Amino acid sequence: MARIDDIPQGTRQAVLGLQIASFDTEPFVSGPPLARRRVAVISSAALHPRGSAPFLPGTAEMRMLPATLPAGDIVMSHVSINYDRAGWQRDINTIYPLDRLRELAASGVIGSVAETHYSVMGSTDPATMQATAEQIVGQLQQERSDAVLLSPV
Amino acid sequence: MIESLGVPTVVLGLVRPHMETTRPPRGLFVPFPLGRPLGEPEDAAFQTRVLRHALGLLERNDGPVILEDFGEDAPSQTALAGWAPPFVLPMPGEVSAASLRTEMELVIPWWMRAQARFGRTTVGASGIAPQAWPAFFAAFLAGEVPASPVAGLTPALALRFACDDVKALYSEAAQAEGPMPGIRQVDGWFWTATLAGRLLIALRTAGMASSDNAVRTVAGRFFVPAPFLPPAAGH
Repeated sequence: MARIDDIPQGTRQAVLGLQIASFDTEPFVSGPPLARRRVAVISSAALHPRGSAPFLPGTAEMRMLPATLPAGDIVMSHVSINYDRAGWQRDINTIYPLDRLRELAASGVIGSVAETHYSVMGSTDPATMQATAEQIVGQLQQERSDAVLLSPV
Repeated sequence: MIESLGVPTVVLGLVRPHMETTRPPRGLFVPFPLGRPLGEPEDAAFQTRVLRHALGLLERNDGPVILEDFGEDAPSQTALAGWAPPFVLPMPGEVSAASLRTEMELVIPWWMRAQARFGRTTVGASGIAPQAWPAFFAAFLAGEVPASPVAGLTPALALRFACDDVKALYSEAAQAEGPMPGIRQVDGWFWTATLAGRLLIALRTAGMASSDNAVRTVAGRFFVPAPFLPPAAGH
């Protein structure tokens, strides 16, 4: 339904009116077979542990989400009101699919699920996020995670 | 940015024109509603198909750029005929703290049932207890800018996240029983059939006339989704 014609008109204007970054480089990194990869999720849904400060609009920060954090201890403070929350309310995997990744790891499709996952505030200007990207990659490498699923909303 | 620092990535993309502009190393366009990158809640098989397709792109070496399309729509993209919440609310009357409190007393037991059903609640971003919402909202409706009840948050941001929380509480309650509604059915109900929805629309109007610049900004942009703005707002 996020085919453009299916997005409600007012929301469609907002979505298509966003300034979308383009990049001069085209990085492409290979890795071992999927069955040996350790997969981490980066969500741009501004997810954070319950009780911690919400993400503020436009912030370039990231929050770490330990894989052991229970689903009920994760809340969302994304700035946008133009996307569905009902699916997320029924099932956290609609946005943050750790249960599915665990199943894929158990069945050998992927090697393992990372110990730490990450969230950022979507719609933040990527030009402000270089340090955040470096911070995330530092943690990924420390945990030997070698595949990232980017899950936007 | 992650890939340029040496870690392979794959993105689930919900807006294909955006993907065509950003040209990520590996992307799977998923034709699902915004907010549902895995497509279908409570359908592990569907979610797994999305994930396997996306993660499979990590084994390809014919990039950059790899952009593929996921071939299935999500079942709940179709409206569920006859869907309604498992409870009936009185016709919304005059917007006030008291009327919101009365309505919430009817809704909260269903919110509790929803928590039992889904094993969690997504209410809580604001850090303000539901019992405190009516008076907090009423102050803004009266043109005041009350002190923020949350350390570290301005009144405007506390209000903004409290609005998210009231929407989440009602949306969860509406799904406490019965089959899964189609996309937008819960929102449609909230904005047209609840006093809370009316209150947020009134709060938007009041907030946009606030003496506080931040309140004006959040009220205008972050309370009421575009499809539910009142016609008088010029949309």
